Amino acid sequence: MTDHRAEYLIYADGLHKLYPDGKVHALNGVSLGIREAEYVAITGPSGCGKSTLLNVLGALDRPDSGEVYFRGEAVSTRRDLDRFRARQIGFVFQSFFLLPALTARENVQVPMFEGPPLAARDRVKKAEALLELVGMSGRAGHRPAQLSVGERQRVALARALANDPLLLLADEPTGNLDSENADRVLELLTRLQRERRLTLLVVTHSLDVAQKADRVVRMKDGKVVDDDRSR
Amino acid sequence: MHFATFILKNLTRRPTRTMLTVLGLAVAIGSTIALLGISDHFERSVTESFERRGIDLVVIPGGQADQLSGKLDEWVADRVQGMKGVTGVSTAIVDVTEMWKRDRKPGEESAPSMQVMVLAWPPDNFAYDTLDILAGRKLQDDDTNSVILGNTQAENLGKTVGNTVTILGKPYTVVGIYKSFNVFETGSVIMNLKVYQKEIGAEGKLTGFSVRVEKGANPDADIEAVRQQILALTDKNGKKVRLTAEPPRLYADNATHLRLTRAMAWVVSLIAVAIGVISMLNTMAMSVLERTQEIGILRAVGWPRGRVIRMVLGEAVFLGLIAAAVGAIGAVAATYLLSFSSRVNGFIEGGIAPRVILEGFGLTVVLGLLGGAYPAFRAARLLPTEAIRHD
Repeated sequence: MTDHRAEYLIYADGLHKLYPDGKVHALNGVSLGIREAEYVAITGPSGCGKSTLLNVLGALDRPDSGEVYFRGEAVSTRRDLDRFRARQIGFVFQSFFLLPALTARENVQVPMFEGPPLAARDRVKKAEALLELVGMSGRAGHRPAQLSVGERQRVALARALANDPLLLLADEPTGNLDSENADRVLELLTRLQRERRLTLLVVTHSLDVAQKADRVVRMKDGKVVDDDRSR
Repeated sequence: MHFATFILKNLTRRPTRTMLTVLGLAVAIGSTIALLGISDHFERSVTESFERRGIDLVVIPGGQADQLSGKLDEWVADRVQGMKGVTGVSTAIVDVTEMWKRDRKPGEESAPSMQVMVLAWPPDNFAYDTLDILAGRKLQDDDTNSVILGNTQAENLGKTVGNTVTILGKPYTVVGIYKSFNVFETGSVIMNLKVYQKEIGAEGKLTGFSVRVEKGANPDADIEAVRQQILALTDKNGKKVRLTAEPPRLYADNATHLRLTRAMAWVVSLIAVAIGVISMLNTMAMSVLERTQEIGILRAVGWPRGRVIRMVLGEAVFLGLIAAAVGAIGAVAATYLLSFSSRVNGFIEGGIAPRVILEGFGLTVVLGLLGGAYPAFRAARLLPTEAIRHD
């Protein structure tokens, strides 16, 4: 059993999670394994539990029962969940959530405070390299309010990569973008996933996003109802 | 980017709120520094007035808390003067008395009066040695209707040598203007001891006296030996005279008027600091509430609770330190300006001791930590998923 879990970078084993009302299941026995460097899209109707699954996999939330294993190790037994999130997982949100007082360069450095130790000037260098990677080096000194929505999401993507995570979790990353920007961000995500051999898990309503994935998991009423690996 | 830069950036997000909070705190801290500075200055002035004159013991009637309160028989000082190891005794009545603010106008029975500190000294008092006579001369034995004025008091009254001042309704000629290292003395009037004793019906009485001791290899032991002799003094009936004899610092620590000043300064300061803490609490609570979503993001990207607490407390302490700097500058400027005011310039000296300013900064750090603690812990308790959803 342990070996079976260890085959995956992250493995969800029988996750249950009730909504705060205590009646409706956000997750109802979800089991799902994701291998390293796999690109997985999770789709399904609103309220089917996609974002809750993403939060539980990302150690932002705890399941009521079941367990998440990261490289075969139970996440719930870890004492350093904050450090685990900081160093192993990158998050991209639909609403970007950049800190408005900071420039793009500074926003990218925020997770680095909890990453592997780096001198302040090395953090700056790394942030600039990441901004270059997402095509934002020319806008490094700009604050979020001075950036377009597409640019903000690219900065958010650079921030998610700040500590070189193994797993990138993206919750509707193109949900707030127009089609042109959505295409650019999607292309960027796909390229980065391939070039950096990232494990990418994207929650999406977008067919375009799902089509680019290696595998599409469909959820309904808190359960995985389809797992299409034929890509 | 350094963590401190991050904290600073958060403070500059709402510059108006930050500035107003700093101003409010600066007033609280500035008042605290000014009050504690004035109180400290009172104490230092009293101690300094004895120490710079080489005084080793201050003798006052037993059971009295300071030199202004009681009366002591003059013969006690004469007996102490003759004791072994005593090199000098400076007798005095230190009193606060009524003096006219200006000369009487034609048709007036009297002029408006004020309270002034009188130092009634015999002409041979060794305390004269530390005064600079700026004009005229010092008092002599036969000066029965004369006074000398401290330069600040002379300026306030607009008097110079040859003019007249009215003390307790009686005119005295100003025969000299002096300057002292002690701010209280610059605002005082010096009269002959015998004249003042007669004026207040206290012939043969003193409020206290100061003693210089001959010191050898062990000065503390020499002073203590004289002190014990003084405390053992008996009257002609063999009855022990009730006296208090203390080194200047101990005297200043125990003097009622100084303790009262110190206590009042601390009470008012603590009220100001309490207001500062509430102001800080309000600002930081608002700031944390507004940034709930951002704090959720910080937690999501791996910031532990401890770093969130350090961030909020850092902001509070930083705000406090800026306020302390502004408040300290304000307090120094205020006391400096006050020292020119005729109402208080005989009591307040411009400037505040660095130690008091440092105390003010220390108090500000405590204020920041207290004011920031609740918002910081509240921020740290936020669950990332709920905080991110917060609108």
